[in-house]
Amino acid sequence: MSLSLATPQPAEETAQPGETSPESSLPVKVQIKNVGFRYGKFEALKGISLPLRDRRVTAFIGPSGCGKSTLLRILNRIYELYPNQTASGEVLVDGVNILSPGHDLNLVRSKIGMVFQKPTPFPMSIHDNIAFGIKLYERLPKSELDDRVESALRRAALWDEVKDKLRQSGLGLSGGQQQRLCIARAIAVEPEILLLDEPASALDPISTQRIEELIAELKSDYCIAIVTHNMQQAARSSDYTAFMYLGELIEFDVTERIFTAPRVKRTEDYITGRFG
Amino acid sequence: MPAEHIMKSYDEELSRLNKMIVEMGGLAESQLAAAIEAVAKRDSALAARVVEGDAQVDELERELDNLAIRLLALRQPMARDLREIFAALKIGSDLERICDYAANVAKRSIALSQTPPIQPVHALPRMATLALGQVKDIIDAYIERDADKALEVWRRDEELDEMYSSLFREFLTYMMEDPRNIGACTHLLFMAKNIERIGDHATNIAENLYYLVHGKALTEVRPKGDNSSLEVVAPDRAGSR
Repeated sequence: MSLSLATPQPAEETAQPGETSPESSLPVKVQIKNVGFRYGKFEALKGISLPLRDRRVTAFIGPSGCGKSTLLRILNRIYELYPNQTASGEVLVDGVNILSPGHDLNLVRSKIGMVFQKPTPFPMSIHDNIAFGIKLYERLPKSELDDRVESALRRAALWDEVKDKLRQSGLGLSGGQQQRLCIARAIAVEPEILLLDEPASALDPISTQRIEELIAELKSDYCIAIVTHNMQQAARSSDYTAFMYLGELIEFDVTERIFTAPRVKRTEDYITGRFG
Repeated sequence: MPAEHIMKSYDEELSRLNKMIVEMGGLAESQLAAAIEAVAKRDSALAARVVEGDAQVDELERELDNLAIRLLALRQPMARDLREIFAALKIGSDLERICDYAANVAKRSIALSQTPPIQPVHALPRMATLALGQVKDIIDAYIERDADKALEVWRRDEELDEMYSSLFREFLTYMMEDPRNIGACTHLLFMAKNIERIGDHATNIAENLYYLVHGKALTEVRPKGDNSSLEVVAPDRAGSR
């Protein structure tokens, strides 16, 4: 039995705090339309529809197994690395359905960057970690490549800490630094969309706050989707929040409303710690 | 749908918060009822007990604030829980003010009892009983978390305001007729104002209760029946009212 609202859209007339224009005028970067997902016989996602607005952070919350990470993995088709997994429905990025079989996968992956829960620096120098991705897509003279590496590291708030050790291995950095390295690596190829899957759950509180501050800065240039099991993080960092449960979208709204006066009882039960 | 938190201690703390509000509400009712009786019966001993009793309410409010702060810091409350705590803070403050006003009425009644009784005094307990009804009803509404009952109390305040306006005129007339009444009537004016303010605080509680239940503010404009601030008193028209 579906508990989802018919069209889970935020109230069109509500403006974000600090904004003068209504949210409905903000462009939708990614339109998720009736997306379903199965692996083997198991239906992991059922009829998910919601917009991801550009220059905004959308958080996905929900108990373990609700499908939030699965949904994220559909957005850049990374599920295709595994057999027996099928997605249905449409994911329109700038109006183009990236799930259609003919669509260029490499283009998808260059436009949509991903950062995972466990930092995954390549076993290379800090410099090469960033350069690796750029070199896959572009042929650049060394000086321009170095500029791009520096720019990415600056954007990820890591430059000052690593500028004197770019030739050292990325594996020698702390957990928080490695995660920022992964973010730098993702933004180095100049994507338009960033997918963050529990980016701070392996990090200490200070590193977590640094990552959240970074997300707040990056937001002005990217459409960001973040999956988190930490509700306070979703509350702090996101503009919109989607609550999922057992593969369905239960409620989607402006973050402030989800956490002060959610419309669906199940959402309230989850965020107030009455089940989960 | 489960009504209890996974963390039982969270439920216990919220329950304690609720109990504190109910206790303060009970005190507000009993203090006001005793103040009315002290006025009606010219009972200075009772009035003195009401004044002393105010300290207990102040202490309760401090405890309430501390518990609310603790809950905010340690539980990261969300949605309905957050609104419960926020409402408890605001309602506690309103109840403390109601008790203050009740104590003020009792205090003035001591001075009033020392002057000869005058006719207009009888109107005051009537007005105060109306206010007491509002306080009783809003506390009941809070216990039941009943926003409809809250709305009803909210609307009734107009009647109290109108009574205040009419008492205001009555006291002024009395003062103009005989300057020897000025002392007693001035006390009565202040006491009537205090009771009118009690009604206002009851409507504040109603607004906060509504927000607690529905998660949005009462947007209706409350009809205001108190026109006393617009009253013009012209001495040569004293007999024409």
